[in-house]
Amino acid sequence: MAYFVLLLGVGFVLGGLAVASNPSPYYGVVGLVLGSVVGCGLLVSLGVPFVALVLFMVYLGGMLVVFVYSVCMAADPFPETWGDWRVLGYGVVMVLMLIVGVVFVGVECWKTWVVTVDSGSIFVGRLDFSGVAMFYSLGAGMFLAAGWGLLLTLFVVLELVRGLSCGAIRAV
Amino acid sequence: MSPHTKLLTSLSLTLGTTITISSTHWLMAWAGPELNTLAIIPYTSKSHHPRSIEAAIKYFLVQATASTLLLFSSMTNAWATGQWDITQLTHPTSSLLLTVAIAMKLGLVPFHFWFPEVMQGSPLITAMLLSTMMKFPPTILLLMTSHSLNPTLLTILAVASVTIGGWMGLNQTQLRKILAFSSIAHLGWLAAVIIYSPKLALLIFYLYTLMTITVFLTLNSTKALKLPTLMTSWTKNLSLNAILMLTLLSLAGLPPLTGFLPKWLTIQELTKQEMAATATALAILSLLGLFFYLRLAYYSTITLPPNSTNHMKHWHFTKPTNTTTAILATLSMLTLPLSPLILAIT
Repeated sequence: MAYFVLLLGVGFVLGGLAVASNPSPYYGVVGLVLGSVVGCGLLVSLGVPFVALVLFMVYLGGMLVVFVYSVCMAADPFPETWGDWRVLGYGVVMVLMLIVGVVFVGVECWKTWVVTVDSGSIFVGRLDFSGVAMFYSLGAGMFLAAGWGLLLTLFVVLELVRGLSCGAIRAV
Repeated sequence: MSPHTKLLTSLSLTLGTTITISSTHWLMAWAGPELNTLAIIPYTSKSHHPRSIEAAIKYFLVQATASTLLLFSSMTNAWATGQWDITQLTHPTSSLLLTVAIAMKLGLVPFHFWFPEVMQGSPLITAMLLSTMMKFPPTILLLMTSHSLNPTLLTILAVASVTIGGWMGLNQTQLRKILAFSSIAHLGWLAAVIIYSPKLALLIFYLYTLMTITVFLTLNSTKALKLPTLMTSWTKNLSLNAILMLTLLSLAGLPPLTGFLPKWLTIQELTKQEMAATATALAILSLLGLFFYLRLAYYSTITLPPNSTNHMKHWHFTKPTNTTTAILATLSMLTLPLSPLILAIT
């Protein structure tokens, strides 16, 4: 089980690598999807499956979909691919940097331990569900602040893309 | 910009600042700057010019990265110590990461490269907000964690900021970029003394804000954006032009104007902490800034431009005096004699 968690961790790093070395946003989202899927697996291994499901729903099902729509409007029509030599070289250099980092930090970090974020033996409820319940009871102020932030984001985005040619960058 | 957007964004600016300065949990201290960043983006890109949009994008990317680093440092601290209190940032990695994150938000060297370009791409009043109000929450976060920060890192950031702020401002003719570099230099002075005397750092910030707002409001009344425009501003508002000269010299830190007070008290505090070499270095490197402030003051008041107007008065009628500018200008020039009172209050 610990090795599976290690595999998920490696997948996370590879997903981040894919996003960082992407030649075009179309290929970058592949890395994002990989990273978020294995990230959800890591959250399950930590003991908070509800948060993982929420991440799936909101990140992959909401934000990524909107991102793909906006990328369709603005990205270049003939992008470079993974197979181009410059992109491949870029990715190889990043893997080399990762290896150098591991060598510097020491191989200790590859020894895995499985940690769970439980509520210990004091609480009865699970941490993730009771956290959401807290949102509606003690944490109502934070809930309002989060809702205000979302409303603000909506208005800011609408203001930024208002107008066909005098808005932000558009290919269409 | 639609009135609804204006209302929402201006309310969010105040809400974000208030949330940050009144927070005890790191999550709210992260949410506040995020609200601020989002709210000021439409103001930065208001004119929809490519330069403004690029400035908005740069601002958003840099501030989002800094907020991520902030969250990462708080989470590392929570993992190591089990609590999210802002004043209990005991894990050393967390405090280093936090210093870097706040330096990115404030525009301290070596994370300053975004600041002049973002200021240049924004309208004058937005540039004023960017350099005063948007610096307030990160300064307060530094203040709240000042007892757990690394002194060496902060001193390096401070001396480098004063150097780069003075040096890079020398070759500029655009006023917003000059004021950006002035901001970097002043925040360097703030970072030098924040560990030893957080109240003095707050005083530095307040006086810097006062003087900067005065300069921006003065420039806004004549819509002067670059040095050649400043040279003919004496025809538009003669007394305000003279006051601009004195306010610029106050920003430079010349006695007997107000801007001398923060520098004086900082040098005193650093000397008390056995850091006389740092104090001397900061004082000498501020001379670089003095040169471009002097150049601005000289070109706006003492020189007649080669394309001078034939008539002493401009073609439009004299604008009525703006009360706010007058009051702020008086405060930013003449409050040095009140320094015992200021020291007693802060």
